[in-house]
Amino acid sequence: MSALVVENLTKTYPGTRKTPPVEALRGVSFAVEQGEFFGLLGPNGAGKSTTLGCISTLVRPSSGRIVVDGVEVGSEPREVKRRIAVVPQSRNLDRDLTVREVLSYHGRYFGLPASEREARATRLLEELQVADKANAKPLTLSGGQQQRVMIARALMHDPKVVLLDEPTTGLDPQARRLLWETLRGLHERGLTFILTTHYMEEADRLCQRVAIIDHGRILTLDTPAALKKSLPGAQVLDLWLRAPQPIAPRLRALAGVLNIEAVETGEGDGLERLRLFVDPGEGLLDRVLAAVRDGGADLRHVSLAQPSLEDVYVHLTGRGLRE
Amino acid sequence: MTAFLALLRRDLLVASRQALFLLVSTLTQPVLVILVFGNILPRLGLVSANFGTVMVPGLMAIAILMAGVQGVLMPLVQDLSGSRELDERLLAPIGVFGVAAGRIVAGAIHAATAGLLAAPAMILLMHGTGLGDVRPTWWLLLPLVVVCGLLSAAFGLTLGTQLQPRFAGLLFAVVLGPMMLFGCAYYPWAKLEAIGAFRYLFLLNPLTFASEAMRLAVTPEAPHMPLVLLVGGLLAWLGLFTFLGARAFEKRAIL
Repeated sequence: MSALVVENLTKTYPGTRKTPPVEALRGVSFAVEQGEFFGLLGPNGAGKSTTLGCISTLVRPSSGRIVVDGVEVGSEPREVKRRIAVVPQSRNLDRDLTVREVLSYHGRYFGLPASEREARATRLLEELQVADKANAKPLTLSGGQQQRVMIARALMHDPKVVLLDEPTTGLDPQARRLLWETLRGLHERGLTFILTTHYMEEADRLCQRVAIIDHGRILTLDTPAALKKSLPGAQVLDLWLRAPQPIAPRLRALAGVLNIEAVETGEGDGLERLRLFVDPGEGLLDRVLAAVRDGGADLRHVSLAQPSLEDVYVHLTGRGLRE
Repeated sequence: MTAFLALLRRDLLVASRQALFLLVSTLTQPVLVILVFGNILPRLGLVSANFGTVMVPGLMAIAILMAGVQGVLMPLVQDLSGSRELDERLLAPIGVFGVAAGRIVAGAIHAATAGLLAAPAMILLMHGTGLGDVRPTWWLLLPLVVVCGLLSAAFGLTLGTQLQPRFAGLLFAVVLGPMMLFGCAYYPWAKLEAIGAFRYLFLLNPLTFASEAMRLAVTPEAPHMPLVLLVGGLLAWLGLFTFLGARAFEKRAIL
């Protein structure tokens, strides 16, 4: 049995007098297996959080069906809530309780007996490396520490599926890496994770399968390796340049250049960014540079790299992830 | 039910930690009012010595109203703020109406406590002569305080979910202030016969019923509203605000 099945999920937020309705999800379907680490990758406003909201009963879908561990969200929300845990995007720890109380009250909500509650709280605070903050108020903790407490809180009632909504947004690189390690460790013990992120590196490192989502639709879904393999060419050559006339046709004619996409830079500095999917054979760079020069373009910056998930996203949408 | 009681327990724990703050914020007004109108003015001979007795139940009702509204409104503001602490409650294995009901019950406990504490505080401060009529009927007082507390908390839930934050500053001036003046707290409804049919307008104010309920329970020998009208009014307002508050709460909670 799948840990999660989402079928034809749609959600339209009603408009107000001044704002039009927003179609956040336009038919999203996917399934997540038990023990899988699944990622939803997409830019802000793509529908990632709305999808998680629908799964966690906090957003009412306009249509579609969601089944968590065999239980339908629409008809048995309470049973679903026992099976899932949510680590929300905003840090919403109960500011009137201490860290330890946050965990133990969460356990109480789920009817855990006192001895079990306390034992679990102790163990989880230890595991997530926040034991020394047990008696502190949440708002005195750093962002990374609050995030760890939220994960500990989520695990208190022994959920089957953990929903992580952009868990590392706003964390410094060190805290982010620490959190990745923690999540990997938890995953190895058999938990099912569903993670949303707009960091492709995060999806690449953590997720076994990734769905790329944009404008409320899933554009593609596969393992990170297969997604990257689906791109034409073995490498990606990015050119930042200023050209008096279109230079792409000239480049497209070159041997070894398989495809060219113009990427919106969104930086307003007048530079054009061209992304070339290439087979880096003999003399390719020379040919490209010569073509640029012959076209009268002013080349400012070049980068040659292995394709990343961002390239997959750009390939599918023609836009960068962080615009 | 487990989740409901656990949520309530959490609210009571937090409230008990803020007890001093809550007491000061809800009891200061009635105590000061009674000091002026029940102690100083009677001594100066400017109002009759009985005025204090009229006011004790009225001010108990005001204390209940303010505490109930505040007891729901303050946590609700935090809940619905950007960080959405509410989601932690909504993710507990309980329905959204259970979460709303929890808020009302916690607010009602706060309100009832404030009402019951207000009475002795005020009686102590009153100029001794006018206390003859204050003879609480305990078996009536407790259930009426509870119902008035629930009514205030449900009213608080309605206000908190409907009110746009930018109008919060007007809450006292436009809603609570007029309610207190026209809520029969400072005069019994029965005596409003003097203004004829206008007295029925006062029934549009839920505080009128709370004041009269306290009057019935605390000064049973003084004139008060007929029991049927009193109980009917309390329950009707309680039902209306519970319905409106819970419905709006659901709209705000589940997107």
